Amino acid sequence: MADLVLEVRNVDKIFGEGETAVYALKNVSFSVKKGKFILIVGSSGSGKSTLLNMIGLLDRPTNGQVFIDGIDPSNLNDNQISSFRNSKLGFIFQFSNLLSDLTVLENVLLPRQIQGTDTNAIEEAKSLLKTVGLENQMNKYANKVSGGQAQRVAICRALINKPAIVLADEPTGNLDSVSAQTTVQLMKSLNKKLGHTFIIVTHDRPQFGDVDKIITIKDGRIVDDEMMEVPTVN
Amino acid sequence: MDYRAKVGLRFITRRKGSLIAASLAVSIAILVVQVNSVIFQGLYNAIIRDQINYRFGHVYITRNENFITKSDKMLVNWLERIPYVEAAAPRLESTASINATGSGQTVRDYDVPVIGVDPVLDTQASTMYTTVGNGQYVSSRNSIVLGALVARDLGNPHVGDSIKLKFKDRNGLDQLKRFTIVGITQTAGSVGLDNSVIMNIDTLREILGRPHETQSIMVRLNDPTKDQVVKDLFLNAFPTRSDNFKAQTIEESAEQTLSGFRSGIALINLVGYFGMMSSAFAVVTIQMMQVTSKTREIGIMRAIGSKRKDILMIFIFQGMVIGAIGAGLGTVFGVSYTVYAKETHLTFQGSLALEVSYNWLGILQTDILAFVLAIVASIYPAYKATKLQPVEAMRFG
Ligand SMILES: Nc1ncnc2c1ncn2[C@@H]1O[C@H](COP(=O)(O)OP(=O)(O)OP(=O)(O)O)[C@@H](O)[C@H]1O
Ligand SMILES: [Mg+2]
Repeated sequence: MADLVLEVRNVDKIFGEGETAVYALKNVSFSVKKGKFILIVGSSGSGKSTLLNMIGLLDRPTNGQVFIDGIDPSNLNDNQISSFRNSKLGFIFQFSNLLSDLTVLENVLLPRQIQGTDTNAIEEAKSLLKTVGLENQMNKYANKVSGGQAQRVAICRALINKPAIVLADEPTGNLDSVSAQTTVQLMKSLNKKLGHTFIIVTHDRPQFGDVDKIITIKDGRIVDDEMMEVPTVN
Repeated sequence: MDYRAKVGLRFITRRKGSLIAASLAVSIAILVVQVNSVIFQGLYNAIIRDQINYRFGHVYITRNENFITKSDKMLVNWLERIPYVEAAAPRLESTASINATGSGQTVRDYDVPVIGVDPVLDTQASTMYTTVGNGQYVSSRNSIVLGALVARDLGNPHVGDSIKLKFKDRNGLDQLKRFTIVGITQTAGSVGLDNSVIMNIDTLREILGRPHETQSIMVRLNDPTKDQVVKDLFLNAFPTRSDNFKAQTIEESAEQTLSGFRSGIALINLVGYFGMMSSAFAVVTIQMMQVTSKTREIGIMRAIGSKRKDILMIFIFQGMVIGAIGAGLGTVFGVSYTVYAKETHLTFQGSLALEVSYNWLGILQTDILAFVLAIVASIYPAYKATKLQPVEAMRFG
């Protein structure tokens, strides 16, 4: 149990009430071990983003519980949840991920400044940007870099606070296939190198090749919780 | 720098249009208040200045319900020994009816106030003599200076013409005397003695049968702030108890003229503050637009850990930037106008020249008020921003 970074237990999410109620998630349960690379797949409207929002503490489940790093954040107040998100979770969204009024470097630094622990932050941010090949773009404003570059910046920002889990909702959904491949490969290699858990919602399952686990959702239910063996390279 | 301050600063400074519009609204409100203050405070000061110069001096000495019977020479000498006193001059007032003989024929009978002045002392204690644009001030015993309004009503007699005045002396008897016009006095806004005639005080005393009497002594100070001190010194030396003297500072002597004006100023200031309120509404509107356009950014910041109060502070900080730039610009505009008004001795339609002074405390107060209002005006939009839920904010790319 100790190496479970995420446990989702009997989660329901109902939007609206009575006649117009929408069951976006129904009795969803699964768990994720530390350091894994997980995909959530399913057709449009199946509930993928809703599930990711529950895990990301951006929204609360109607029923059920979500444990992150062994903690049930449901009794935390709004400020505590914000701090929790800041230190335990990293976010990568589909588009307009960055604050366009800040530079690339400032965007990466933001979670650390929100946390209030600036020591070594600049060095760490620069080294992350170097890992994703953006060391020459650091001082550009975020709206002056390409979509693929912006996603790489978002990856750095998601990692700067060394979160337990990195959550990504369609991170390649807006990219051309070359940029998408680069982004996928970066996430996979960072997962290997730094050991952060990645949970990624995608439409394009083949793009990701081999992953640790694929969760398939249909109409708010998990239909397939498939474990895949990671091919071992000799 | 704190990240909230940095983000707030970037948000607002990278939207030049919003920043300029909001700070201009603030600065224009400050300018309105400042222009009001320059004009109306300037007029107020100008009235005080002219009342000091022409009528009352800085301290005005009279005797309750009676003429001063103590020797005017003695009183003036006593006053002039006080270091703060520059000069003092006696005056005597009465009325007369004029029997003008402009161009050799009687124009008409005409009642006017008559002011008797000491030809030497009056030029030291008052600047009345500088208002004689045509001719000269009172000198010899039978010389007379006409106020411009009197001269106009008499059909504009010339300097050198003679004029007959009829007085009632202390016994109620008519006294007729002929004078030679030596000058015409005219003041901007007719705040001087434009409706009176000025003559030698000794001549007037003689006609009225009051050889040693004086109506008032106007005292000019070299340090106007010492008016209360001089007043107290005088009243200690010549107590009201025995002499029945009355001494007034300019605020007291000119009170009648000034009190109405003061309520006018209060009203005008109110107009200025309404201007400030509307600038605050402009700031609210612009800040609301700002929050709306930053919805997604707010969602991202909330997702990566910003708390509600952090979002609040970002937009409050924007308000501070708007307030500071607005106050800075407003000060520049306002002070420029003040300098312009002062240097050009601004007048309106030939009225009296404004007495413009730099009211730094007033400017500072207005600035602080504008700054605080810009912040207060940002509270509601900032509060709205904190109510955005991260998921909601992020839904629409
Ligand atoms: N705030 C909301 N209010 C009402 N219904 C909602 C809300 N959010 C999501 N839903 C509904 O919940 C269901 C699941 O939506 P969700 O966004 O999770 O789907 P998704 O799998 O992410 O789809 P896509 O692949 O198109 O992004 C949908 O029927 C959607 O209309
Ligand atoms: Mg979705």
